[in-house]
Amino acid sequence: MRPANSYTLYWMGVTFLLFPILILLGIYMRTVQAGGLAGTVTWFYPMMTLHGVGMVGVWYVAAMACAADILGRYTEPSPAVRGLALGGTLVGVLLLLACVFLGKFAGGWYFLYPLPFKGEWPAWSAVAFLLSLTVLGATWLVWTLDLLRAIAKKYTLTQALGWHYLAGRDEPAIPPSIMIITVSLIAGVAALAAGVIVLVLFYQELFTGAASDALMVKNLTFFFGHTLVNLAMYLGVAAAYEVLPQYAGRPWKANKIVAISWNTVLLIVLFAYFHHLYMDFVQPGTLQYIGQIASYASAIPAAVVTIFGALLLVYRARMRWNLASLLFFLGLIGWAVGGMGAVIDSTISANVRLHNTLWVPAHFHTYMLAGLVFLVFAYFYHCSQEAAAEPERAGRQKLVSVLMVAGAYGFFLMFYLSGAYSVPRRFATYPAELAHGGAFSAIAAVFATVFLVGFLLYLAETGSRWYKAMQTAS
Amino acid sequence: MRYLAAVLLLCVLVPFAPARAENEAADRGRILFEQKCASCHTIGGGARVGPDLQGAHQRRSEEWLLRFVTEPDRMIAEKDEIAVRLVEQFNRIVMPNLGLQASEARELLAHIKLVGGTQAAAAPPQPAAAPLPRPDLIAPQSIVLGVFLFVSAIIVLVFAWVGFSTRQPEEVNVKKAYGFRKALFATASAVVVATLVMTMPGAPYAVASLKADRIVYVAARQFDFVFSDEPITSAADLGRIPTMRHLDLPANALVEFRVTSLDVNHGFGVYGPERQLLAQTQAMPGYVNRLRVSLAQPGHYKVFCLEYCAAGHHAMQSGFDVK
Ligand code: HEC
Ligand code: HEM
Ligand SMILES: [Cu+2]
Ligand SMILES: [Cu+2]
Repeated sequence: MRPANSYTLYWMGVTFLLFPILILLGIYMRTVQAGGLAGTVTWFYPMMTLHGVGMVGVWYVAAMACAADILGRYTEPSPAVRGLALGGTLVGVLLLLACVFLGKFAGGWYFLYPLPFKGEWPAWSAVAFLLSLTVLGATWLVWTLDLLRAIAKKYTLTQALGWHYLAGRDEPAIPPSIMIITVSLIAGVAALAAGVIVLVLFYQELFTGAASDALMVKNLTFFFGHTLVNLAMYLGVAAAYEVLPQYAGRPWKANKIVAISWNTVLLIVLFAYFHHLYMDFVQPGTLQYIGQIASYASAIPAAVVTIFGALLLVYRARMRWNLASLLFFLGLIGWAVGGMGAVIDSTISANVRLHNTLWVPAHFHTYMLAGLVFLVFAYFYHCSQEAAAEPERAGRQKLVSVLMVAGAYGFFLMFYLSGAYSVPRRFATYPAELAHGGAFSAIAAVFATVFLVGFLLYLAETGSRWYKAMQTAS
Repeated sequence: MRYLAAVLLLCVLVPFAPARAENEAADRGRILFEQKCASCHTIGGGARVGPDLQGAHQRRSEEWLLRFVTEPDRMIAEKDEIAVRLVEQFNRIVMPNLGLQASEARELLAHIKLVGGTQAAAAPPQPAAAPLPRPDLIAPQSIVLGVFLFVSAIIVLVFAWVGFSTRQPEEVNVKKAYGFRKALFATASAVVVATLVMTMPGAPYAVASLKADRIVYVAARQFDFVFSDEPITSAADLGRIPTMRHLDLPANALVEFRVTSLDVNHGFGVYGPERQLLAQTQAMPGYVNRLRVSLAQPGHYKVFCLEYCAAGHHAMQSGFDVK
């Protein structure tokens, strides 16, 4: 038995509360796209915005909570900042709910300039949205910086990045999870800084009327969005590095290769975002090609070092399979499959046919839902089970996993098929020429409901342990 | 003789004098309509984001129309019976208050009357589009899907094999595994480089040395695409620069679309007769993207907006014919 950290448990509570609501919004969207609930179609885009910002936000903070929990085992993050992170996030979420439900704000999750100023929603709701993101961005930036401070206090940043491995020294030994978290947090500072600049440009226009350059803001927006989503994924992978060895009964240590791999990732991930601008033909051509090269290159360390390392860890191991180890394993599959969908989309000549079709939600839902969500669920279950030490029933845990996997992949497949058939993303309803998009949506809504049922069973499994862990939390 | 001329002149001028003033108003109305209304309405061209305005002056009173055009938001808020019914009919997209003066509204109505009157017999109401069956998947989309499903299947098989291997636990030879990893790294790098070399030349960016056979200017705005032979770079150009109601393109010619936007980001996605994407570019305010296509197959092509641009996004479409 090992008592759980109470902040980690609070974050679990927040996640468990918000996730099912956001899933329902997803099912709602697919229903409208299938032609159902026609009377509510004006709510489609506001709900799409809420679902997108909400999901990205929830899974980013959930991944950060895992990282903070892991760091808590090796370093001393500030308790005050932990409280601030929780409080700031709640304030941001309240503002977000207000602007969407009261103001019908519908700028989309990455609020591409200048759309927030030019929609059918009232101006105040756009301002509330910007304020919400400002609160969230500022809070998370402080949180990120504090975690980096805690790391730098215990190790040095160069050690935490494993640069001494590059120089051929093995001492001090750095847990690979620390190395990955450090890489992700540094990328996080860059992403959040870009987000802050975008917000400042919006405020500037709001107060002085000075318009910004649409192409420049687009670059900043996608640098922010792409990097944030990727680093959330890496934090989930860090959790796998930390915990999976305990179930495999084998070590998963840092060495020169792991250090090279993750330092390369840090470098590459900052350039891959150009793949979001392939269809902006005025963007300098060199950057477009750099985008494709960087996107392809980022797959190599992921596949050859991390996925290979995980497979080697598990191969013929005396593995203890339970909900945690199963979900870690499944989460790595989702990361690999979704990553493959992304690499295909990052091919310029394929992107011409796939950009802004449902292929895009297809691949990011794969590595978010079947990747990051599974990894974080694994970690959450692991923490509560360690504290609660309840007997585990293998049959029920298998059922949970089967339902979530079947629901998720069925749901993804409809997105992939729609994308291949050129059905655009973000269409509230489909025109007659693309009516098959509606048929795919109907099937997807059923699969998403299966996932929801699986999630509720997961909640029953983890919730009882979470409750028990609360009693003994530190 | 002089008398005769004077009488003739009078005969010609008298009936036209008030008509001329009306025509001037209608002409100002035409420009206003192009600038502020044509993104959602046609007059005799069928319903778009909003209703076809042909015959509007016959189905509604002048007073109602004048008020609705100047303050649709207030009328909808006051639950005006007709307005509410129209909102329901048109996907609950609410007509925006465009801040028009009463005099401008009158000019607009004069234009709607004039055009609607002359075209009355020409344009029959369009039937509601019936959903079309799913087309056959074209290449390269079919190849993309095939490659993805194939690689995903391999990923799943490898994971499954490793997962099931834990039924027979055994120590593994780490040295051997690292040797295997080296081979994997070499193979993966080779595949990446080969794919880069193979796919990069397929990039859609315009090559300066090739001269286009036909240039079409496209201005996107919430929520339609305007085609013209001369560039339209701001809303003020609308109604002054002639636009094309109908665009015909020659088959197999190198056509260059010069795409920009008058408001927010839009996407210009060209769908072929098979109803699948052939090419696309973004429409961005302040920039012109040059999309070059050579279309072999004759038939009707559709253009859908491929960047989310607010409530009418999914209704924002256009088209052209290739002959
Ligand atoms: C953003 C799209 C949009 C724009 C721009 C727009 N309208 Fe509308 N209009 C609509 C919609 C949608 C309706 C149906 C009522 C509703 O849903 O609010 C409508 C309804 C109308 C009606 C009533 C039609 C009927 O059958 O009774 C008139 C008249 C009208 N609009 C005139 C105009 C004029 C004139 C302009 C330009 C000054 C204009 N509209 C600009 C979307 C628009
Ligand atoms: C079962 C769970 C889920 C369902 C049913 C669901 C469903 C959907 C649907 C239908 C869309 C709109 C697609 C379109 O037409 O463009 C969407 C968009 C989106 N989803 Fe999900 N989703 C789920 C989980 C997630 C998760 C876990 C994330 C985590 C990051 C996520 C992030 C997003 C984002 C960022 C968008 C784009 C919003 C936008 O375009 O502005 N979703 N989702
Ligand atoms: Cu990206
Ligand atoms: Cu659009």
